[in-house]
Amino acid sequence: MKFRVDRDVLADAVAWTARSIPARPGTIPQLAGILMVAGPDGLELSGFDYETSAHAQLPVEVADEGKALISGRLLADICRALPDRPVDVSMDGAKVSLTCGSSRFSMQTMPVEDYPALPELPPVVGSVDGDAFAAAVAQAVTAAGRDDMLPVLTGVKLEIEGATISLLATDRFRLSLRELDWRPEQNEFSANALVPAKVLGDTARSLTGGSALQVALAADGGGSDGLIGFSWTAGGSDRRTTTRLIDGSFPNVRQLFPATSETTAVVEVAALVEAVRRVSLVAGRNTPIRLTFSDAQVSLEAGNGEEAQASESLDAALDGEPITIGFNPTYLLDGLGAITGSHVHVAMTLPARPAAFAGMPGEDAEPDLQFRYLLMPLRMQG
Amino acid sequence: MRVVIARCQVDYAGKLTAHLPMATRMIMVKADGSVLVHSDGGSYKPLNWMAPPCTFTESMQPGGYVEWLVESRGGDTLRVLLEEVQSDSTYELGDDPGLQKDGVEKHLQQLLAEHPATLGDGLTLVQREYPTAIGPVDLLCRVTRAAVIVVDLDEPSAADDPIPAGEPPAGHVAVEIKRKATIDAVEQLTRYLDLLNRDPLLTPVRGVLAAQSIVPQARTLAEDRGIVCALVDYDELRGLASVEDRLF
Repeated sequence: MKFRVDRDVLADAVAWTARSIPARPGTIPQLAGILMVAGPDGLELSGFDYETSAHAQLPVEVADEGKALISGRLLADICRALPDRPVDVSMDGAKVSLTCGSSRFSMQTMPVEDYPALPELPPVVGSVDGDAFAAAVAQAVTAAGRDDMLPVLTGVKLEIEGATISLLATDRFRLSLRELDWRPEQNEFSANALVPAKVLGDTARSLTGGSALQVALAADGGGSDGLIGFSWTAGGSDRRTTTRLIDGSFPNVRQLFPATSETTAVVEVAALVEAVRRVSLVAGRNTPIRLTFSDAQVSLEAGNGEEAQASESLDAALDGEPITIGFNPTYLLDGLGAITGSHVHVAMTLPARPAAFAGMPGEDAEPDLQFRYLLMPLRMQG
Repeated sequence: MRVVIARCQVDYAGKLTAHLPMATRMIMVKADGSVLVHSDGGSYKPLNWMAPPCTFTESMQPGGYVEWLVESRGGDTLRVLLEEVQSDSTYELGDDPGLQKDGVEKHLQQLLAEHPATLGDGLTLVQREYPTAIGPVDLLCRVTRAAVIVVDLDEPSAADDPIPAGEPPAGHVAVEIKRKATIDAVEQLTRYLDLLNRDPLLTPVRGVLAAQSIVPQARTLAEDRGIVCALVDYDELRGLASVEDRLF
């Protein structure tokens, strides 16, 4: 094995591949490695933890074909620190030697034969604009659960119906729903997939420069194989990743959005975020920040008389009955951070019923319902 | 518990020999006969010790030293020579309640008291630790309407099964809570039920054995006696604690 590769292309591809290497490979030490294959199509890098696979193909001029399995963690650390020069990689007995400028590294290899085969990419079912996908996923994962006790809720549900993908995530306290346009291969395509939120988020973050993303899904959408794959081009390499879908049925949460609301309010997002940050400083863990909407204003309050208290008022355009409602400040900030636009549209019914948040491009614009965030209020003492 | 702080020299002879030169240490003589020699370090681990059963003899040695001779049945000896005793105190500690690895059982009681409906529709709590002549029952609940006792919380569909025909709809339910329900738990609950059913204001009182796991013999015996076995999911119950703040 012998090839020369651009430093940035290699470092970017290695860093991305290394993300799907298990932190603790356990009984299969080979999984801690990145498989490097130099062939007629260039250089291939693979990482796998039996759940998620990552595969990057780099356009590299290969002098000698061959393959090697080397510690992914070490390779990523080395590549990140290399000077900006072309990198020469070659096999040196049982070791891989890497030269960049005047730095030289020699790395131990692991037996290639024991490395598991990566899953095949399922059939491509359509494509989506990379930037749009990245933005949609970033919003959708806001509400995804992190508690492994409830594995179903650590996923993002993709509901594909024709030219629209709905992304749903919830941790039972809040819910995010994002609608996204895409281009299915077949017009009538319909499928459901429950994808680990972490993998989806990582994929979205590595999308750069408006490249298109191919979506690949096992034919029956989560049946026998239960595998979803994505392929795209980033950082000068072709990448594809596959991940196992989460087993189990995602709760039917769409109907949780109230059909009507008693009170709607429009508030400037940036000012509200600032105010919530300040006032919530005195709110303890799991204690609410209280929002009172009345008289074209929203007053924020937190804390209690015994320890510390804070309050602040902002202008708000109000429609409907005055209402006082309490939220977990962290969840409120998460939601306000996820919506886009200069203003937020808050639709409320009762202090004990969930409130729906949507972004607005301007004060008098229609709420942008492409992304909606539903937040359950906290009970207020007294 | 006898606690002695003294300058001492300790020699162990038997399966192995060990010598601790003269120095100030703490010696514990426990009610079970065990003797443990501790330095001011090394965490929980004694420098040397003798486990029960063993015999303890105290004698005077030439030079005014007190010698303790602790002898095991196997013939091993721990010899402690006391040069200067700084403190020698004996305390009556009484019976130890034992190590509670975690408060799961207590917490289960609290959670089920807050959410008695998870054990069956129409159950409302009367009292936690309801007193009887032979000790408190974990939970006493009132059956407000034709109750349906969830037989197995892992299978919510079981909640649809009606109570057996002929069973009176009103009355009370005594709940015994265990992490792991054994035959003993069934016997205990049977005794409570026997007493509670003599109270004309309470009767009929049915029994529910709520546990994270139920051994098969206990389940058979319980069902034979008309006691309902309910498997409870601790983690699910903990999640219920804040159910009012959740979307679903």
